[in-house]
Amino acid sequence: MALKETDSSKLLMAVVCLVSVCSSVPISDLLDRASQGSDKLHALSTTITQDLNSHFPPIGRMIMPRPSMCHTSSLQTPSDKQQALQVSESDLLSLARSLLQAWSDPLLVLSASANTLHHPEQTSISNKIQELQLHSKSLGDGLDILSGKMGPAAQNISLLPFSGRNDIGQDRISQLINFNFLLSCFRRDSHKIDSFLKVLRCRATKTQPQMC
Amino acid sequence: MCQHQFYVAKPALKSSVTVCARMRRDLRGALLLLLTAAVQSSSMSAPGKPVLLSCRSPEKETFTCWWEPGSDGALPTTHHLYYERERLEGTYECPDYLSAGRNSCFFDKNHTSIWVDYYLTVMASNALGNATSDPFKMDVMEIVKPDAPGNVTLWVEEREASPCVHVRWMPPSNTDTKSGWVTIKYELRVKKDNSNNWKEYTSGTQTHFSLYSVSPGGVYTVQVRCLLDHGSWSEWSNTTFVKISNYLQNERPLSMLISILSAILFIMAGLILIAKRKSVKQWVLPPVPGPKIRGINSQLLQSGGSDNVGNALIIKQSFPPIYFVWEDQMEDYLIVTENEDWLSSNSQKRKKSLIPACFHFDSEIHSKESPCHQNDWEKDEEMSQVDNNNKPFTNTGYVDFQRHVENVQEADVKHVDYSRVKEVKGDNVLFLEKEKVQSSGYMDFQRQERIPEDYSRVKEVESDHLVVLQKQNAADMSCKDEGNHYTDCALHKPRKPHVCTELSDSGYVDTIPAPPLM
Repeated sequence: MALKETDSSKLLMAVVCLVSVCSSVPISDLLDRASQGSDKLHALSTTITQDLNSHFPPIGRMIMPRPSMCHTSSLQTPSDKQQALQVSESDLLSLARSLLQAWSDPLLVLSASANTLHHPEQTSISNKIQELQLHSKSLGDGLDILSGKMGPAAQNISLLPFSGRNDIGQDRISQLINFNFLLSCFRRDSHKIDSFLKVLRCRATKTQPQMC
Repeated sequence: MCQHQFYVAKPALKSSVTVCARMRRDLRGALLLLLTAAVQSSSMSAPGKPVLLSCRSPEKETFTCWWEPGSDGALPTTHHLYYERERLEGTYECPDYLSAGRNSCFFDKNHTSIWVDYYLTVMASNALGNATSDPFKMDVMEIVKPDAPGNVTLWVEEREASPCVHVRWMPPSNTDTKSGWVTIKYELRVKKDNSNNWKEYTSGTQTHFSLYSVSPGGVYTVQVRCLLDHGSWSEWSNTTFVKISNYLQNERPLSMLISILSAILFIMAGLILIAKRKSVKQWVLPPVPGPKIRGINSQLLQSGGSDNVGNALIIKQSFPPIYFVWEDQMEDYLIVTENEDWLSSNSQKRKKSLIPACFHFDSEIHSKESPCHQNDWEKDEEMSQVDNNNKPFTNTGYVDFQRHVENVQEADVKHVDYSRVKEVKGDNVLFLEKEKVQSSGYMDFQRQERIPEDYSRVKEVESDHLVVLQKQNAADMSCKDEGNHYTDCALHKPRKPHVCTELSDSGYVDTIPAPPLM
């Protein structure tokens, strides 16, 4: 995992250097790289959810809090294809960056609670959460670079504070439930980020239809 | 039954009447039982609880859900699907029960939202009651499963070495591949003939693929499926198969025939060549004329022996006889010198100084057995003595003379510088004249040519063995004689005499080239 982190951050640093020195890396390549990163991020979150659900007590599913209680739900995002295709590129990037930024703290909470999770797959889950953090960080850096190339609206980041729910829960069941809930919020947001970046990538590479 | 009369005794008449009444009662009871049973078996009741099975979105823009109805309670039962949605107040009913078939609900684009949770319930109702399924929570992002790719076509490219199969297909018709809303990935699987081993390949986002590991004579079956982003794989497409013709086998007898014929031809050609090898050899490798020296008997040379060699090398034809100085045989040497004193001093005690001076006449002989060796020259004490005194070889050069036997006017006289021999003293000293000989004489030359640098004019020849050479005046002489023709006179003037004689192996008396003066 550390290797992956250094690899991706090295790659990102290389991209940064390239951008600063040559300033000729095309946006399409940057977007391609970013959408690969977001794809990986969502895939990881899906894997963790599957690990969690493999042993999840069925009762827990019923009493899960409603997803409208995710801390990022206040952000207005497009909810279907038509709406999504009407959003400008800068706004799409801004949304992606805001969502990603909103998870930097909660991921720490997830990571901390993964260490004490009462679950048979606890080790695997904990490792993957760490990987998730690293990927999230590198993707955030990449999007920061992209935003510099895309206009002023891309620089706006909506702040979505995570209301300090540091205690996941005392008992096993509530701990698991809250962990699962937080993870499901992350899954949704990572899917949003992935979709937005892929729409952006396709728009940026009009000459290469195979990118869409 | 009661009509049957039982002929019983008088006292039993009363009992028969009782039996008949009892039977009637039983019959009614039985009938009643049957009726209730019948009624109970086709119970009209409230419907059983339906079960929501699954939902599916083929393109992330619409979705369909299916349910399984429970028992219908023997009454006509209807099913209704109700849903609630995140960020949407109220409960709504399914917009379309028909498009997707029985027991389904189709949500079109207007009713589909992504990244929001739907809570679905199905209610079955009939005259006697309702039954509601368990709530089914779903988000469109999790139920994406595309249709199978279509129009899978195969064609075989028949290349010489190995055929290959090209596969092409179309994305499913309802999928939008242009906006980036979904990203398709493809996978295909191939199996040969009737085996059950499928070989899978990933095609990425391309809608074509080439299979190279195919062999002729096989029937290949190909199927393709696709995936949208993080969703589920579609079903495998319809089976398409292609048969690769066995053309190689058909061509085999023909190629065998051709190879046999060509082999026969080669063998015949080889036999002919072997039969006529001599003439072929003559034609391919024409004999190269070996070096033939006029008058030399090569066989005698080869047979060895100094006698034979000597005899072999003696020209027997019309050439003038040549003198050869041999190491151990002829001791007649010709002394070449410029110093006249030497001549006089030694005239009396002329010894058989073994000064090897070799003359090679205009001939074609290049004998490897050099008769002249520098060793002899060095060994000779007398010679050294002579040398110290007189330095007879101050400027030795190539002395060339041609024994004039025939007519003076011979056309093929070589244009070499000649001097006329003035006097012959003894048997090895020649005195040559100073001036150039203009008229024909003993020595003849057709032209007056300048003397090259490294030639010396023979001044005089004393005896048979001594030739006195002109001292360094060759250039002047030539200048003097010929006037200003020779522009390189000036070059020669300050020339120093050089002492060394180099007796090359070929027997030429050659000067060491003068250092450049310019």
